Amino acid sequence: MRADAVEAVLRGLRRAGVSVATYLPDSLLKELYPALDADPGIRTIPVTNEGEGAAIAGGVFLSGKRAVLVMENSGLRAATEHLARMGLGAGIPVVMIMSYRGELGENNWWAIPHGITMEPLLNALRMPYRIVREVDEIERAVVDAYAWSYSAYHHSAVVLGGGLVR
Amino acid sequence: MTSPAKGMSRYECMKLLGARMTDDALVILSLGGSVDEWYDAAPHMRDASLFQQQLGCVTPEAFGLAVGLPHRRIVSLDTDGGLLFNLGILATLGNEQPPNLFVVVWDNEQYQSIGGPRTHTAAGRVDLAAIARGAGVEKAFTATTLEEFDAHCAAGLAATEPYIVVAKTDGILQPGIRRKHSDGREDKYVFVRHVEAIEGVTIMGPSEHN
Repeated sequence: MRADAVEAVLRGLRRAGVSVATYLPDSLLKELYPALDADPGIRTIPVTNEGEGAAIAGGVFLSGKRAVLVMENSGLRAATEHLARMGLGAGIPVVMIMSYRGELGENNWWAIPHGITMEPLLNALRMPYRIVREVDEIERAVVDAYAWSYSAYHHSAVVLGGGLVR
Repeated sequence: MTSPAKGMSRYECMKLLGARMTDDALVILSLGGSVDEWYDAAPHMRDASLFQQQLGCVTPEAFGLAVGLPHRRIVSLDTDGGLLFNLGILATLGNEQPPNLFVVVWDNEQYQSIGGPRTHTAAGRVDLAAIARGAGVEKAFTATTLEEFDAHCAAGLAATEPYIVVAKTDGILQPGIRRKHSDGREDKYVFVRHVEAIEGVTIMGPSEHN
């Protein structure tokens, strides 16, 4: 992941008032995780699966603090059960930042399912999302995701793809 | 002739726990029969309790709440089925060591809300407290009597490290109690407004234009 993209994510999270990040690390965003760990304004919580990370983020919402769940887009599959119950059932929102594994340009056979399943799952969960491939669009996308999720009380996602992560 | 039920009455356990709590503490609880039981056993905790239907989410959500409100006691009322759905949270608690989180696991060895098929704890080999200790939560115990359970509630509500008690209960739903009528969405609003009031914060505020 490009260094200027990492900085843009951190700027967006700061502007959105985020103080907790749950994550299950992946390779495309690998530079982002230590940067989150090093940010003095953010407590990071590594998790064992993305559903757990989503549920922890939902609990943080209930406290009045703001959280983000950071992961590969394959994590959306692991988290769908938790996201459906919290979002569609109770209106407890989770904002996610995920890498776009499996988009055009993917050169790993095992990542193809991640690209194929991501958008149908986002749509099945009625989650709006923005796919970002330019650095100067990242900060605004993160801030916009929080604005929407704290109006709708439902999940939203920023997907980082293209040259940002390769 | 059927054998007598094993384990404690969950409802009696809840009354003991509720008697030790005020609505300064916050509770996240699991799905199933424990919802209506907690609603009746601890009526003073209704606004301070988030009633949800989220298998595998309960203790993670309670941990997130504990992270956000480190000065406040948070209680997770989880179940054997719910915790088995996401055992990974025990490893996360072991690493993160939240000082303000007390977890009660109602272990009736069955999926009670769908009629009682057995969970993995029913065969007697799976020990949730031992799993928790192995995951790094040193204060993890099993209670089989009301006296033991009450003592663990006293200790868990005062602990300065994560504390888990697995309560072996009999699987008998308390008869004749009042059903909760609200859904998860209404319950969330009630809970959030309570947190806003006791914390003096805004969680779900006004839109830009009303």
